[in-house]
Amino acid sequence: MSVLEIESLGVSFTTETGDVPAVRGVSLRVRPGETLALVGESGSGKSTVALAAMGLLPGSARVSGRVSLGGTEVVGAPEDVLARLRGRTASMVFQEPATALDPLSRVGAQIAEVIRNHRPVSRADAAAEAVGLLRRVGIPEPEKRASAFPFQLSGGQRQRVVIAMAIANSPDLLIADEPTTALDVTVQAEILDLLRGLAADSGTGVLLVTHNMGVVADFADRVAVMLDGKVVESGPVEEVLLRPAHEYTRRLLGAVPRLAVEELPGIATPGVAETGLAEAGVAKPGAAGPGVAGPGAEGPGVAKPGLAKPGLTDHGVAKPGFSKPGVAETGLAEAGVAKPGAAGPGVAEPGGVEPGAVRPGVAGPGAVGPGVAKPGLAKPGVAKPAGAEPGIAKPGGVEPGVAQSGSARDIEDAPVVELRDVSVRFGRARRTVRALQDVSLTVAPGETVGLVGESGSGKSTAARVALGLVAPASGAVSLFGADLGRVRGRRRRALLSGVGVVLQDPVASLDARMSVGECVAEPLRVHRRGMSAAERRARVAEVLELVRLPAELAGRGPRELSGGQRQRVSLARALVLRPRLLVADEPTSALDVSVQRTVLDVIAELQRDLGFACLFVSHDLAVVQQFAQRVVVLRDGRVEEHGPTMTTLLRPRTEYTRRLVAAVPVPDPVVQRRRRGERRASLTAGGTEATA
Amino acid sequence: MDTLLYLTRRLLQALAVILIVTVVVFCLLHALPGGPARGILGPQATAEQITAFNHEQGLDRPLPVQYVHYLGTLLQGDLGTSYTLNEAVSRLIEQRLPKTLLLTVLSAFVGLLLAIPLGMWQAVRRNKPADYVITTLSFVAYSTPVYFLGLVLVLVFTQALRWFPSQAPQGETLGQVVADPVALVLPVVTGAASMVAVFSRYMRASTLENLSEDYVRTARAGGSRQRAILWRHVLRNSLTPVVAMLGYYVPVLFGGALVVEQLFNYPGMGLLFWNAAQSSDYPVLLGCVLVISVATVVGTLLADVVQRIVDPRVKAGRA
Repeated sequence: MSVLEIESLGVSFTTETGDVPAVRGVSLRVRPGETLALVGESGSGKSTVALAAMGLLPGSARVSGRVSLGGTEVVGAPEDVLARLRGRTASMVFQEPATALDPLSRVGAQIAEVIRNHRPVSRADAAAEAVGLLRRVGIPEPEKRASAFPFQLSGGQRQRVVIAMAIANSPDLLIADEPTTALDVTVQAEILDLLRGLAADSGTGVLLVTHNMGVVADFADRVAVMLDGKVVESGPVEEVLLRPAHEYTRRLLGAVPRLAVEELPGIATPGVAETGLAEAGVAKPGAAGPGVAGPGAEGPGVAKPGLAKPGLTDHGVAKPGFSKPGVAETGLAEAGVAKPGAAGPGVAEPGGVEPGAVRPGVAGPGAVGPGVAKPGLAKPGVAKPAGAEPGIAKPGGVEPGVAQSGSARDIEDAPVVELRDVSVRFGRARRTVRALQDVSLTVAPGETVGLVGESGSGKSTAARVALGLVAPASGAVSLFGADLGRVRGRRRRALLSGVGVVLQDPVASLDARMSVGECVAEPLRVHRRGMSAAERRARVAEVLELVRLPAELAGRGPRELSGGQRQRVSLARALVLRPRLLVADEPTSALDVSVQRTVLDVIAELQRDLGFACLFVSHDLAVVQQFAQRVVVLRDGRVEEHGPTMTTLLRPRTEYTRRLVAAVPVPDPVVQRRRRGERRASLTAGGTEATA
Repeated sequence: MDTLLYLTRRLLQALAVILIVTVVVFCLLHALPGGPARGILGPQATAEQITAFNHEQGLDRPLPVQYVHYLGTLLQGDLGTSYTLNEAVSRLIEQRLPKTLLLTVLSAFVGLLLAIPLGMWQAVRRNKPADYVITTLSFVAYSTPVYFLGLVLVLVFTQALRWFPSQAPQGETLGQVVADPVALVLPVVTGAASMVAVFSRYMRASTLENLSEDYVRTARAGGSRQRAILWRHVLRNSLTPVVAMLGYYVPVLFGGALVVEQLFNYPGMGLLFWNAAQSSDYPVLLGCVLVISVATVVGTLLADVVQRIVDPRVKAGRA
């Protein structure tokens, strides 16, 4: 008996331009106590399925097929039947905790409302029960918090409140629609732990809608992959994530940026090989040995002396190896769990690596990553001119190894941007927020520096300081060697024209009333006054081609483009003045993984060709790991630690960074299960330490 | 404590605005054609008489000095003397203001009482016949000039149906006015009409916006019924922006009163203003301007305070 049974569900939305099908013949079932993950990219119809299961689709939706919740038919059911089901038989947790709660009602009252919707409980009893639920979802001082308004709680706490509402009547089914997407990774891990615990305790079935393969690996028992409104593949999580059968699933998994993680010795997981690399990178070739324990890791290849050549910056060496962690990781993990057959090539393809490059390297199933890395690593790392290693300079993957050569070329140049002991304060008097405190960072020419940290850690503020948008309260900012605090007027404008910006939201950051061509040309109008219209058009066409957009798009409006295209327009706009520095603030976090992949590829390729430096702000450690040579970790406005990406993210020196890294779920259920255990263990250990 | 601090700050701000208003009014007084002397002494007055008058009234002193003097007299409640009624402006306003307040507050109250549920109902029945009908009526009511609407109402309800008298209560005191509620109906309805039209539109838009908010979906997902969601969540959330609008609507209400009082011969500020404008009685006009400005400032202040009470986020400076 399933708690949720969906049979050939079809949903289409009536719009002015006709019916748009969103879901086409989807059949699913969730059994008690089981978690089914529904994955897919935006527009695949996964959220529509979730809403259809609750009967929450808007009036413009036309539904066919069958949806049964605990034996009651939902499709076509009258509103009062649905109201009896919702919050009792099935309940839902939403993506945006910021807006999911009524801003003017106290959270306790909102929970009590759900209780009283379904059970004849007195007001006082419901209020008391709400406090108990708040305690159960891990909100400190629940008696006090119950009378708080949503805005007085953090995002994670708000999501806990929504969860408390969802479990108030012990439903048989919990539908979680991207429950952690809006949250920081550490909070995400806590919320996932909470949901998992609640589901395990009560035998509640979970339908988890997500695009995050790490979350899937962390949580789900079974997976259904959706594409264009259809389920293209489904099965147990190990099957689907490790041995995807459908081409789309493979592509999707291949596009997921994977965090390379350090693992315990003796287990042949990706971390081993990568640790080896990092070790080699810091010029200790011997150290690679002990780290490489498993059969698949191909230690020797990694630890080749060539890697440790003098003159290599450690990140220069380590990087390229990680530019393919998707390949290396999965392949190795396969070897680790002793299923070599499926590994190497199958996983290599979605990784976006061109076959030609992979094949020679694929000695054994696990050797893919290091094998590819081997030849390419040494050479660009020793500062040969770009393009020396065509095998590596492929467009397919993110190739910082090659970009690296650019930075090696003029490494002795002064930094393009330097923040020295910068402090920024917002607000006055008691309300002062110290957004940054004594933050120092530099970006060298051609180099990519990743700026990571949780939301509110000040990473965007630091980027805005570098852009001259926020004046520091103290400290100095130098841009291309000039003190940004002292330069005024035309000189300042000229200075800032050397910086390009790409922001998170491609919809909001492009003027909807301008055509794509005008958007891209605008910086030229401002900074290159002497340019003729024809020259400008030519330059616009040139950069559009650079970012791989067809020139015809110049006449369109930004809203006619897809998210990835829009972000490439932003990139074209940022590059039109041939900047020496690109500031990218979460450039891909609003995009689907496959789109993210292409946008990152374009940036990496252009960086190699054009040689600009990049300050890359992201909360996604996996993306930063692939993209940046050095990383700066911010916490509460201070630099927590910084260093070469591989060193810092693989062997963090501080507890905070360690927790940050540990909280990122990797899209491999086997590895993730162990990491979760380790994270839990270290948290409890930390907890006892704290209490002791 | 925090609230007290806030109130003090807002009151000081309001005082500053009122001070600026007095400057404007003072400048207007001095921009009068021929100056106040010509106004009071009439077109036949000789140049000597005017000079003597100006000296006597202190009008030949430097402007800043005069302004301070003017402010001093204002503080004593002296708004000057009416040219035509030969009575202190302050006294005239004192007699008329309560009646106008009664009329406007009643109109606003009735207007909101109708507008809020109407707007919500329209939002719920969006793009259905009821919505279209009310929307059309709102636009008709809003675009009909108040005096025309009033005339139509008078024709229908006093001439044809004979339900109500054509004159507003003529009582001297507030008590006497209230004692004749039937006669108040038409003036209040006339004043409330545009209010209903405008605020039902605000309320409709605000409700629509809130109905599409995530929290409504959360409540539905928790099994709450539509009616409960509307009354428990949507109403309060939709009202906050409408309350803010109310403060800015005060001058419009006074503007409406101007016409309504003239139409129904209701002896309030509007009628006073109207008659003063007809006879170029500038001290009265400017006195009224001053009072209406102060009322507007007080209205917005009240709206802010109410919003602070309704929406806890405002207090925390988050919204």
